[in-house]
Amino acid sequence: MSSEQEHLKETDTEARFEFKKEEKSAFKADKGLTEETIRVISEDKDEPEWMLQRRLRALKQFQKMPMPTDWPGQPDISEVDVDEIIPYIRPDVDVRAGVDDWTELPEEIKDTFDKLGIPEAEKNALSGVGAQYESEVVYQNMQERWEEKGVIFCNMDKAVQEHEELVREYFMTKCVPPSDNKFAALHGAIWSGGSFVYVPEDTTVDMPVQAYFRMNSEGMGQFEHTLIIAEKGSEVHYIEGCSAPKYSAFNLHAGGVEVFVKEDAHVQYSTVQNWSKNTYNLNTKRAIAEKNGRMEWISGSMGSKATMLYPSTILKGRGASDNHITIAFAGEGQDIDTGAKVYHNAPNTKSTIESKSIAKDGGRTNYRGLVHIADGAENSSTAVECDALMFDNDSTSDTMPYMEINESKVDVAHEATVGKIGDEDIFYLQSRGLDDDDAKQMIVSGFIEPITEELPIEYAVELNRLVELEMEGSLG
Amino acid sequence: MSTKAIESLSEDTVRRIAEERNEPDWLVETRLDALAALESAPLPDVIQTPGRKWTDLEALDFETLVDPLNQADTTDRDADGDVVVCSFLEAFEEYGDVLEESFGSVIDPTENYLTALSVALFTTGTFVYVPEGVAVEDVTVRAEMNSRSLFSQTLVVAEESASVTILESIESGADVADDRYFSNLVEIVAGENANVQFGSLQNLSPDTYTYSLKRGDAGTYASINWIESNFGSRLTRSDVETELNGDGSESQIVGTFFGHDDQHFDINARVWHRAEHTTADLVTRGVLDEEARSVYEGVQDVGVDAWNTSSYQRENTLMLSDEAEADASPKLIIHNHDTEASHSATVGQVDAEDLFYLESRSIDSQVARNMLVEGFFVPVLEEIAVDEFREDVEALVAERLR
Repeated sequence: MSSEQEHLKETDTEARFEFKKEEKSAFKADKGLTEETIRVISEDKDEPEWMLQRRLRALKQFQKMPMPTDWPGQPDISEVDVDEIIPYIRPDVDVRAGVDDWTELPEEIKDTFDKLGIPEAEKNALSGVGAQYESEVVYQNMQERWEEKGVIFCNMDKAVQEHEELVREYFMTKCVPPSDNKFAALHGAIWSGGSFVYVPEDTTVDMPVQAYFRMNSEGMGQFEHTLIIAEKGSEVHYIEGCSAPKYSAFNLHAGGVEVFVKEDAHVQYSTVQNWSKNTYNLNTKRAIAEKNGRMEWISGSMGSKATMLYPSTILKGRGASDNHITIAFAGEGQDIDTGAKVYHNAPNTKSTIESKSIAKDGGRTNYRGLVHIADGAENSSTAVECDALMFDNDSTSDTMPYMEINESKVDVAHEATVGKIGDEDIFYLQSRGLDDDDAKQMIVSGFIEPITEELPIEYAVELNRLVELEMEGSLG
Repeated sequence: MSTKAIESLSEDTVRRIAEERNEPDWLVETRLDALAALESAPLPDVIQTPGRKWTDLEALDFETLVDPLNQADTTDRDADGDVVVCSFLEAFEEYGDVLEESFGSVIDPTENYLTALSVALFTTGTFVYVPEGVAVEDVTVRAEMNSRSLFSQTLVVAEESASVTILESIESGADVADDRYFSNLVEIVAGENANVQFGSLQNLSPDTYTYSLKRGDAGTYASINWIESNFGSRLTRSDVETELNGDGSESQIVGTFFGHDDQHFDINARVWHRAEHTTADLVTRGVLDEEARSVYEGVQDVGVDAWNTSSYQRENTLMLSDEAEADASPKLIIHNHDTEASHSATVGQVDAEDLFYLESRSIDSQVARNMLVEGFFVPVLEEIAVDEFREDVEALVAERLR
């Protein structure tokens, strides 16, 4: 076996994502959620009073709102008991806002990110990297040339301190209010870490910036907040990756993402989600696109026990456009309920949604999506395409699109197909000397190719590798 | 969801209806059970999205809409051949056993508030019985609603290798000053290799609220084909459903609607694949003018035992007015991987280029638009094998365009 193949062998999921590190924390909140917890977290972060007040208001919302249980066919999230969650763990690092040199990190944290390949990627393909461990960002760095142009890429806690006015204006005020849903409210109350990205007018950040989120401890919740502001005519590509080792108790991820796409700006947001299969991924992601702004959501959902995530875009300005590309892969015990939400609130807006899902070994995927075209949003168009592939009879594949059209001068199309992996295709490949597993893997790779080809090459490779890992050995 | 009790309704009301019709005990019991279910039965599910409910059934004021003891209708039933087509009253004596066995076997009367209300209070409807091997083509049922409220119950039993085409139409007769309520439950039991085609044309007055639930149980190799056309009523909730319970069974659900004024159509087509080698095809086309609103839900549910399933669904809505609104949700629920399933839905307006082409041929723009609307319905009309029914639908489309 060549050394290259040795490396591939190393990329077994156990080794790559599910290694556990001994828990070393500087500060660990008690389980559960009370006003006291929130005051303690806020104080530990030395936050301004207004942020504390926002947290407390969000907590009240959270306590008031019911658990979402009445969605048709929704994943079972009854196990999610916030009182069992450790909401905040500050890792034991010296520099609070994240170091800019990997070698300054404690060995076990550095080793974690080395194994995940983050420093390597930073060298090759990224403009900047942030890395979050438990509740806080431990590493943050951006190439100097961007700093000189006024681009800000820092962790969210630091942004509260250093860019207070911007954060105060945009943080959970205009895009995702805590009242949006119960987990957005929870997020508003105990958010910690995440990224703040600010791109000044007419600036194009030509290499992506990446954030990586890692949960290491059992029973914790990660609630990072990402706020991206792309000023007029600017362009940025943000990539996030996430993973955690698997534990028997559940983990909760309830992140919040807010993206502001100003006039003529272009934001691409890519996610490769590989949470461990005991994690509930209940995320709220939303973008507001102004005149001629363009928002792109690219998501690969491979991990988690249950995901309920519907990245949404509000097309607020004339000529704004949205593009959703989604891959969901549900294996044994997984329920991936994901999709897209687009509100066309202005004329000449355009959206396209492409979803590919794969269900096998008893997994369930569901495309759940909403396209709303408001009265007056004339000459708007939307095209939704959902394809699902099923491997066996224990799995489930659902498609639940919702279309609300209040305007007549529109072009609305939705299409979906579901099918099994083709026996004839497999037979053909086998007749060419491939074994059954390789043939199936190849068919799956082909099935998701229209989406992987939209990803930067590193991530396409990563996603393909994850799919291969999911497929490996479990077929037959 | 809490439903409203109707104060004027009591066991006495139900017993009076049953006694006047000299009904057998089992049916009286079924009615009373349905009445009792009103206490707790929920309204039919309606689609909700954040901040919006697609149809508001809770706003219906049943207290004033329902007038159980003054129901009136004129129903003409016409059939040739070796088939029984009659009212329940006429059927009790000779076909009591068939009725008892099949009534409520497809639609559970206590399924929801509106089915329970309908079974407790129905005074009209039709019993169609097609014996083994009999084939009849022209069964027509033309009904006029002459009262504030009317509850109708239809049961079709097609035995092994029987074949029947039934066309039902419902219109408003005598004027009533108030809002009106029409409830229509249709059950079809299609035995082995039976073939039932059921067309329904609803053109009630614009002060009517309509609830219609039609459901078929398709046995081995049976086929049940529905045509559901809605033109009338202020608010229509229509559910057309087939359970493919037998191996090799098939169903087609064809739907058309044309809304104007402030009409609201809540159109639902659902099919459950529960056996092997079953096929379903759901095709709906609708036009909305003025302030009309449509809600469409299509469900293709493929069960875990439904090997070798084929299931298709298409829905298209044409909007003629900026004030109109079209909501659609075509759903796929797939539990068996040996399935070929697809669905599609579109919403759009009259194609500007088509219009321009016709105008360039010196066709007046209004006439051109009307031609294009009529053309829009053609793919659905082509699915309708019964000439008479197709002509009726074409006539209603033309009338609405005038």
